[in-house]
Amino acid sequence: MDDVPIESGLVLASILFILGMIGVLTRRNIIFMLISVEIMLNAAGLAFIVAGAKWAQADGQVMFIFILTMAAAEVSVGLALILQIYHQLKTLDSDAASKMNG
Amino acid sequence: MSKTDLLSVIPIFILTSAAILILFSIAVKRNHKVIYLITTVSLAADFIYIALFSAKTKWIIEPLFIIDGFGTFNTGLILLSALAVSMISYAYFEQREERKEEYYILLILATLGAVVLVISKHFISLFLGLEILSVSLYAMITYLRKRERSDEAGIKYLILAAFSSAFLLFGMALVYASAGSMEFSGIAKHLASSSSMSPVVFAGLGLMTVGIGFKLGVVPFHMWTADVYEGAPAPVTAYIATVSKGGMMALLVRFFVVIDGYRYTALMMAFAVIAIASMFIGNFLALRQNNVKRILAYSSISHVGYILVAFLAGGTLGVQAVTFYLVAYFITTIGAFGILATLSDRDRDAEMREDYKGLFWARPWTAAIFTAMLLSLAGIPLTAGFIGKFYIVAAGVGNGQWLLVLMLAVNSAIGLYYYIKIIATMFEPYEKERPSDQLYPSIYIVSGVTMAVLTLLLVWIGTNPSGIMDLIQAFVRLN
Repeated sequence: MDDVPIESGLVLASILFILGMIGVLTRRNIIFMLISVEIMLNAAGLAFIVAGAKWAQADGQVMFIFILTMAAAEVSVGLALILQIYHQLKTLDSDAASKMNG
Repeated sequence: MSKTDLLSVIPIFILTSAAILILFSIAVKRNHKVIYLITTVSLAADFIYIALFSAKTKWIIEPLFIIDGFGTFNTGLILLSALAVSMISYAYFEQREERKEEYYILLILATLGAVVLVISKHFISLFLGLEILSVSLYAMITYLRKRERSDEAGIKYLILAAFSSAFLLFGMALVYASAGSMEFSGIAKHLASSSSMSPVVFAGLGLMTVGIGFKLGVVPFHMWTADVYEGAPAPVTAYIATVSKGGMMALLVRFFVVIDGYRYTALMMAFAVIAIASMFIGNFLALRQNNVKRILAYSSISHVGYILVAFLAGGTLGVQAVTFYLVAYFITTIGAFGILATLSDRDRDAEMREDYKGLFWARPWTAAIFTAMLLSLAGIPLTAGFIGKFYIVAAGVGNGQWLLVLMLAVNSAIGLYYYIKIIATMFEPYEKERPSDQLYPSIYIVSGVTMAVLTLLLVWIGTNPSGIMDLIQAFVRLN
């Protein structure tokens, strides 16, 4: 780890995070939006591991495991919802799922 | 783990064991009444335990939890709100859903998450509490699966909440990368060691603000609020508006007080802009609405803006004002959505303004309670909402936040308009022949009693605020 500076790890995580964010904002398919959110969460996890390595603590990796667990829980609820939506609307276009306007 | 450690997390244990007990009892036999009884009894027992046995002294369980007066008071508030919401939920779900028992597991787990949130002093416990709360809420929002709008609301909330969690997490990672600690106190020590903030910490706190802003539903992160409020079942909407937002607010206050964020002008400016924008945009969007749920959603945006005014004032008085406003706002919001839930029928919620036409002549008591709740939201004297605003103004003036206080006064006047408009609708003449799309609600005693108790509390706090304020002063101290 000595020859890889901490900053490059954080820059990589930021790039991943921004890619995920662009994905959420531009994709119209709900499954792709969910995948993009996962990319953002994993980017945050990577940043935690890099930060943990910098301080030589296990906390960063502990946090990463929690992030993985939470992301799995979120995806399971999300996919169940997506199934339900597909059942009703016969499409996964997020523009179709906007009946409410105010 | 010492004995005191164990005793101080008993409120959490009660909630987890209640959830497990309900799971088992559903496995044996589905009985809505039994499940409902287990829920209410465990929530009430939990509250009684806190009221009787919690010490007002600070107790820290390293490294995750801090059980102090502020945390204990907010825990009690969250438990009582969850209890009130489950009271409204019984009648609501009894009429609507075949499989209604699992709702109570989700309700208890969400409460567990909120309780963990308000006593956390570490990023890990913050994150876990927040996610237990959020993931339970996704399922609660979509609980009535046959309504198509509830799916839409659920998926919108899921994507945006996960999106904002990612912001919060990335911000935490950046803060951790430069502070070397995930404990609030460790971060405070790191921040205090240098006079100016390093860019990485600044970016981290900024991203965390985005994440927290989403959960609080403040402008410019407010777009989910109206849709989720409209699509979710009325009791769940009450829960999101109170417990979810209140828990987050309590956490924000604790985090800011510990790291002493008040030193940083840039951060304070950002929050001041958010507060003013939330008050104005929330109120203006509510003016144009005919859907009562959406009106309450937009008004909740501006109410969080009001709370931020007290939060920005800071100091002991500011934190006490935040707590008092939360109490008043919880009572009022649960009351308003409770009325909405009792007026709803099997097919849809009583959310259009026309549903309230002539309500005062048809059902005077319901209309009177709803009027009281709306007047409290508007901040009319003799209600809890007025006293809450009074303390916010006092905190703001005490700290010289003249601009914010002025904006609060202007917005209270704007807000009055749409609350009065709903009240006026209730006084309109009642048409004898019922059109076919009118609602046919059935009445339940549990909901009625809950509403009456909430109204009494509202008026009691409004006319005699010293009792509750003494309680808050005894519990909520900064050190």
